[in-house]
Formats: sequence, C-alpha cells, structure tokens
Amino acid sequence: MLALALSTAASAAALPACTGTIGGGEGVDESLVAPGPTLRRLVRSQYKNSVGDLLGEGAKVAADPPDDFELNGFDSIGAAQIALGDDSVKAYESSARAVAAAAMGDKERIDSLHGCPETSPSAAECHANFIRNFGRLAWRRPLDEAEVERYTAVAQFAATDRDDFYAGVEYAIAAMLQSPHFLYQIELGEPVAGRPDLRKLSGFELASRISFFLLGTTPDAELLDAAEKGELDSPDGVREAALAMLERPAAREALRGFYDEFLGLRRLSGVAKNGDVYPAFTPSLADAMRTETLTLIEDIVWERDADVLELLDASYTFVNAELASHYGLPAPEGEGFHRVDLPADGQRAGLLGHGSFLSTFAHTATTSPTLRGKFVRERLLCTSIPAPPGNVVTTIPEGGDAKTMREKLKEHQTNPSCAGCHVMMDNIGLALENFDGVGAFRLTENDVTIDVSGSIDGDATFEGVRELGGVLREDERVGLCMVRNLFRQGTGHVDTDGERKVLAALGEAFVKDGRKLKGLLAEMVASDAFRFVGKVQ
Amino acid sequence: MGSFKLSRRAMLRGLVGSTAVALALPTLEAMLNSHGEAYADSTPLPRRFMTWFFGNGVLLPRWVPPTQGPDYQLTEELAPLISVQQYCTVLTGFMNKAGYGRRGHHDGVAGCFSGHPFIELDPGGANYSSKFGGPSIDQVIASRIGSNTFLPSLHVGVSKRVTYGEGPTLGYLSHKGPDEPVPSERNPQEVYNALFGSFTPPDDPHGKLRVKALDAVNEDVKRLKTRVGATDQKRLDAHLQSIFQLQKQLGALPPVCTEPGAPGETNEDFEGKEPLLEVSHAMADLVAIAFACDITRVVSFMQSGGVGGTVYHMTGATTEEHGLSHEPGGQELVHKAVVFNMECFAYLLGKLQEQSEGVGNLLDNSVILLGSDCAEGLTHSSFDQPIIVAGRGGGTLKSGIHYRSPNKENTSDILLSCLQAFDPGATEVGSAEGYSNTPCQAMKA
Repeated sequence: MLALALSTAASAAALPACTGTIGGGEGVDESLVAPGPTLRRLVRSQYKNSVGDLLGEGAKVAADPPDDFELNGFDSIGAAQIALGDDSVKAYESSARAVAAAAMGDKERIDSLHGCPETSPSAAECHANFIRNFGRLAWRRPLDEAEVERYTAVAQFAATDRDDFYAGVEYAIAAMLQSPHFLYQIELGEPVAGRPDLRKLSGFELASRISFFLLGTTPDAELLDAAEKGELDSPDGVREAALAMLERPAAREALRGFYDEFLGLRRLSGVAKNGDVYPAFTPSLADAMRTETLTLIEDIVWERDADVLELLDASYTFVNAELASHYGLPAPEGEGFHRVDLPADGQRAGLLGHGSFLSTFAHTATTSPTLRGKFVRERLLCTSIPAPPGNVVTTIPEGGDAKTMREKLKEHQTNPSCAGCHVMMDNIGLALENFDGVGAFRLTENDVTIDVSGSIDGDATFEGVRELGGVLREDERVGLCMVRNLFRQGTGHVDTDGERKVLAALGEAFVKDGRKLKGLLAEMVASDAFRFVGKVQ
Repeated sequence: MGSFKLSRRAMLRGLVGSTAVALALPTLEAMLNSHGEAYADSTPLPRRFMTWFFGNGVLLPRWVPPTQGPDYQLTEELAPLISVQQYCTVLTGFMNKAGYGRRGHHDGVAGCFSGHPFIELDPGGANYSSKFGGPSIDQVIASRIGSNTFLPSLHVGVSKRVTYGEGPTLGYLSHKGPDEPVPSERNPQEVYNALFGSFTPPDDPHGKLRVKALDAVNEDVKRLKTRVGATDQKRLDAHLQSIFQLQKQLGALPPVCTEPGAPGETNEDFEGKEPLLEVSHAMADLVAIAFACDITRVVSFMQSGGVGGTVYHMTGATTEEHGLSHEPGGQELVHKAVVFNMECFAYLLGKLQEQSEGVGNLLDNSVILLGSDCAEGLTHSSFDQPIIVAGRGGGTLKSGIHYRSPNKENTSDILLSCLQAFDPGATEVGSAEGYSNTPCQAMKA
C-alpha cells in the first residue's frame, strides 16, 4: 500500500477552536456540564497491552484478566459501572501472579528498575527503588511514601521468607498489579477556578485517558514526564502530544480495537451459521471478512487520511483468494490481501456490502433485515430503538407461504404492536436483501426476484446497498454519530446533554476538515469534554 | 464419660494435611443424630438453593397441568419430570408484578428472579441496556448461608449463545446488585477446577505471601474508597468483599469427599452445533457433587439465555430459539426445545435424588427454582410465567403439587417462600411493584 504524506498536523491546526465562548474558569466552554467521574477498570486489551509495555512480551502472554462487561454497546462503559466480583478478583490475582513470574525472565529490565548493583534479600532500599520506579509507570503517577512503604513491606516479607531478593520483587509486582491504582483509571480531577461544578483532570490522569484511548495502553515514561512538566495542561499541548501519539503503530492497533467493537467484528469468529445452509462459512472465511473491513479502514484512515465515511460507499476493497471467490470476484494475484476495485456493474460497495457486517448481523440460517437495520439506526445514526413491549397480547397470523424475507416481515409490519419499531429497522435492512446471511450475492430468493427498495423514516428512499451507502454518507447524523461513539468509548460513558454542544462543535469541525479521523481524534482529546469531569457525586 | 460425638467441623479439622481420604458420601453416619435428620450437635443438615433458567418461555397450553393438587396430570412439556414429579411443585397463574410491561424479556427475568423492577440505562442514542434492580434471589440466600462453604455460590451455564448486547439483565442470571452481575462458567472443566482445583494446600509456601500481597491491595482499596463518590464506594465495597473471600479461600481446607475425575467435556461446538445435552449433564453432575461435598450451597444454572441465540439442533431446528418464538411457523420447534430443557432439568433433579443424605436425599434438602424470562416467547407476557419449585427445603416446603393462583398472586411471594426455607426470619423480598411480604401459602409444608 502507498503511504501518502500526512497532512493531519496542518489540517488540525486549521480547525476552529472548539472551546466556544471563553468565560470564567480557565476558558472552559460555558455550556459544558460534565458527569461526575467513575472508576473505570482497564478493559482486557488495555490490561494486556499495559502489562506488555511494563514488563515485556512474556508477561503479556501470561496476562489473563477477567472478561469485560459490555454496556450500551461498549466494554469501556461497562468498565465504568460494573463492580469487581469474586471471580474477577480471583482472576486478577492469578493473572498478576503469572505476569510477575513471567517478568522474572527478564532480569535486565527488573534490575534497571531498582538500580542496585548488588542485592540481598534484606536490601529494603533496593525494593523501595523498584517500587517507586515501577509504580510510577504501572500506576501512571508517582507513589506517595506510604504506598512505597506498603509495597516494600510486601517485597521484604517475600524476600525474607524465600531468602531471595527477586522473590520480593515478584510479589511486589503481583501485588501492585492487583491494586486499584493499576486496575482502574482514577479520574478525580482538580478544582477549576470559577467553575465549582467542574474538575480538570490532572496531567497524569489526562495522560492515562489519552493513552488508553488513542494507544490502547498505559502512558509511557515520556508522556508521564510531559504530564509532570505541565505540558498537557493546555489544549494546544494536548493536541500536539496526541498528534505525535497518532504516528505510533499502537494508534493503529487501538483504532482496530475500536472498530472491532463498534462494528461487532470481534464477534465474527464466534458467529454461528448453519453448515447445511451456508457451507461456505468457515473460520478462515470469517477471519478474511474481518481482515477485509479492518484493512479498508486502515487504508482510509492511516494510509490516505481520507474521509472516514468513505467506509460506507467505497468502490474498492481488500480481498484474499477465499473472500474473492465468495464475492464472485477474480482471485487476486499472490498470497494474502490485495486491493481490488469492485465491478462498476456489480452491487457490492462499502461496509454494508462487506461479508463481515452482513454475516454478523444475520441469523444462523437466514438474513435479518431487522438486525442490519438496527445496526444502522443505533451505531451509524445514533437513534435508539424503542423497547419491544413487555406484554404483547397478540398472535401473529399463521403464515407459511412467504417466499421472501420481505413478505415474511410484512407479518410484523401489519401487526400494530410490532410495526412501530420494525418499520424503523426493517425498511433499512431490506435494501440489503441481495446479500444472504453470509454476504453472498443473490438476485432471487425461492425463485422470486428480490425487491431491494428501502427507506429511512420515509424521507430518504433508495435501492440496494450502493444507494443506501450513498444516502448514509450524505446524512449529517452519521458524522456526528461517529464523533459520539468515539467519545463514548474514550470516556466510558454515553454522552450527556451537557456535553452535546462541545461534541456538536467537534462534529462540525470534523465535517469541515473533510471528516478525517486522525484530526478528529486529536481535537477530541484536546476538547473540554475530554479534559474535564464533573464533581465527585 | 459421655459418648463420643464427632462434629462435622471436627471431622474437617481432623483431616488437615492428610492425603486425600475417600469417605462415603455425603455425610458420615457417625456425624448424624440417631434419627439421621440432623448433625449430632443438632444443627440441621445443610440446605441448598438453586435457580435454573431457560430463555424464551413455554407454550402455555402444553405446559399448564389441567389438574391441581398432588399427582397433577403431567402435560407434554412437563412429562420429562415423571420420575421426580413428587418433588416438583408447579406454580401457575402468578403475576410477575416487578415486570410491568416496560421491555419484554428484561421484565420477565429480573422480576421473576429478584422481585425488583430492572433498571433501564438511558441509551441516549446508544444501544439499549438494562441492569437488575436488586440482588437476585440466589444472592439474597447466599448472603445468608454462603459463608459456610468454600464457595459462597457457584454459577454455571450451558448454551454460550447468550445476548450480552443489552446489558447484564439478559447476559447474567445471578446478580449481587445492579452493578454486580455474576458471570456463569460454561466450560465444565473450568467448573471442576473451581470446585476442586483451586485449593491451596495448607503447607503451600506461597499461601501466606499471597495473603500478604492481598493485604496491601486491601489497604489501597480502603484508602481509595474515601476519595470517590457514593456509587464507586459501593463498587469498592464489592471489591473488598471479594478480596476477603479470596483470602479466606487461601486458608480453606480441601473438601472431605471423593473427588470425581475431571469431566472430559469443554463445551466446544462441533460442526457449528453446541453440545447442549452433554454440557447440561456434565454441569448437573458437577452441581450434585458440589452440593454433596458441601463446597457450595447456592447455585445458579443458566441453561440458555433470554433473547438468546441457542439453536436446539436436536429438535431439528436450524435457527435461533428467540427468532423461532416470534414466528408463526416456529412454535412446534419452540415446544420441542422446552421438552428438551425439561429433560435436562429432570436429569439434574435425578442426580440430586441419587445422593442420599441423612434419611433422605439431596433433593429433600434443596430448593430449586425453575423459571424463564416470559410466559410465552411469542407474546413476552409476564403473567403466568413458567415456574417450578423442586425439592422439599429440609421439610419446609410442600412438594409435588400443582397450584394455580386464582387471583394472580405476585411471583415475589414465591421468592419469599424460597428465602424463608433458609432464613425463617425473613419477612420481605423485592421492591416497588415487585415487593412482597406475603409468602406463598400454597408452598408451605
């Protein structure tokens, strides 16, 4: 792939400032009403990446933290609300012990963190050095003396018992990785003059928030130093740091993680398909589908720094031989994935024509216009679907002769208690019926020609996936929704009314800048909504 | 000199550090009183509680028995219970008052298993999610009796195709509170490890070091608690409680019983099909042994999930249960899935019945609450949800009857009756619309 020159820094600088009216309190946007902070535990990937950065690849492999809890569509939102239970605490303990044991394989790294040329089991000062240095990295802030003492005592106890200095280090690591100061992002902030309702994240807290969001891992020593020097205290400083961070490979990995979650791609390998109906759906095909989508995103965002909404109607994609055959395209030359232009006279284009999306949002043996439409509504347009009623007193009439999915779903649409919501979802999803439950193209279903007309709220009407993609790309809700979803994942909460104005300003700037994601990310972390929290409730 | 009586606790203590000793299960005759009804020191035999859940309801006309009282006539969907019918009280005609029509499935499971209306998380344009409004009944009971055993409660599941995208209400069966869903383990080998593989021998050199490390963590959590908001304080309390539990387990003694071999089943799909029968049986075997060995007294058993993607392939179904339940042509397959689930439930009850204890068996000393997340999947109704209470609760509960409520009694009344089998002093369960201080009279022995 061709790496084009990146113009992000320049274009980001051209963005209008998002701080709105400069009022009291350090020029914070007057409209901002930020929700109070909550402890947010590191999600699995953040935990593992952090362990890897702190203690090396072997430790990362050994790390096995408990599963995440998804709320409102994001693990990070669950991480900000769900408490740790017996199973989680147990898992964290065994993970921390395994990590600590593995870390002992890299004595050079360990020794560099305490700096003592010679060590004896009773060398408390060397343990304390280690705890200070490792602690600042692992807890993402300097430790106070009481903390250093507490963990030095753990190290000394173990070293004495085992008559081994390193046993002390090992137990100190195991303990510190179970501490809430490692497990949770703690964002209590500092008072803001003139704004008693707000608190500004400290440099260290913000360094963590930005690093976990943009890089999916713990802040490195350099970023912590910058925080300590006050370089993250202003929006300009934050923007500059963010743009530098976005040049690192970890930023690509983190964004892959975002889309994996946002698009449901991570579920793809576990998606169940009926083998009799869809014999083509193999684990390797599922894997190829996921790679296709992530590669296209990577190309748009990182290689081309182009309008990210090209994802919705891109006329090219990336396939390997297996996926090409699934799509009815000529096999690309050579191994692996290659860029191909989609035939102009074909139907497929953009994410909604990808096998990944079409397979994830479908049933085991059929398509599901409802699930596909629900995705477009919730994830792309940010409109929630009202609840299905709790006590539907109804019987759906015996059908049986419905030949197409459209006819089958008509039964839901003629029933008043189902119709309200189903129309919202189904009329979008029905435009995708030319693709079966694993994304293979088809023109007929049970020998009946498929009708792919669809509409959104009766306003926009379209035929098939290409027109739907185009309609969505023009829909101004989609850009803002992208902003909101990134913000949700980055901050661990669903954006509130008091944050909407700041986010709307970010959205406008994003559109004006050509909807380039890198620029958006830098502006987002520099925005007031990202740097401030409400009072502790 | 009085006759020597061996207390259960003394028995456990007596085995410290010894090699594995196989004992006749479950309770040594020498430890019982002369009637075999209690331990020699007159503490009653332990009672066990379990919730058993399957998603998407039943077909009422094929579920509700046509006759009431003892020896009720089994219907098609209840037929698998024939060998344990004397232990199964079928309760129909109840109203899940905590589930008052806000959202199908969420209403049903939260109300029926906790008595608290669920908490809706404002989606604000995001994906819908909800949480339980209070602790599920298994955790209420675990809070009374859980500290007596190595594991306060055990949580197992069978089908992996559970809906996690709508929050903890649908994803988890057991909840200590709104922010404390308790995950189910769906791999029988992992359940086995939790039961038998996580004991730290008293002479393990790492035991005390681990406790010391946890002490430091405990101190951090306590200090942090003083700086955070009220909700986070509660979360950190849960964290502290779990640290305490882990430290306690590090000093616990291995169970006094014959260790079964590890199960071979790991719950891997084969050709896209879940091994539902095999896993359900493996879990039932493990639960029976966990009860018999007194490793835990509280279990939640999640056979499948509400709105779940379980494909009951043994019925001939090729698509998900939830989808089928909303299709006119899908009802026969839904019915077959209910029958399959009841066969699995009957297998579990049979395993408990096989384990003798005192003059009876484990089922005599258990209370098992079976329920779903709606009456019928097609209509999402929370009136007349399928409910069975199996077991005699150590003689506190009537068993083997069909009672149909003439006046739509609250399903929370059933929860209260279950709770009273463990805590006779309990006077209430649930909250708001689901609140009850009136136990179900029909269940009383």
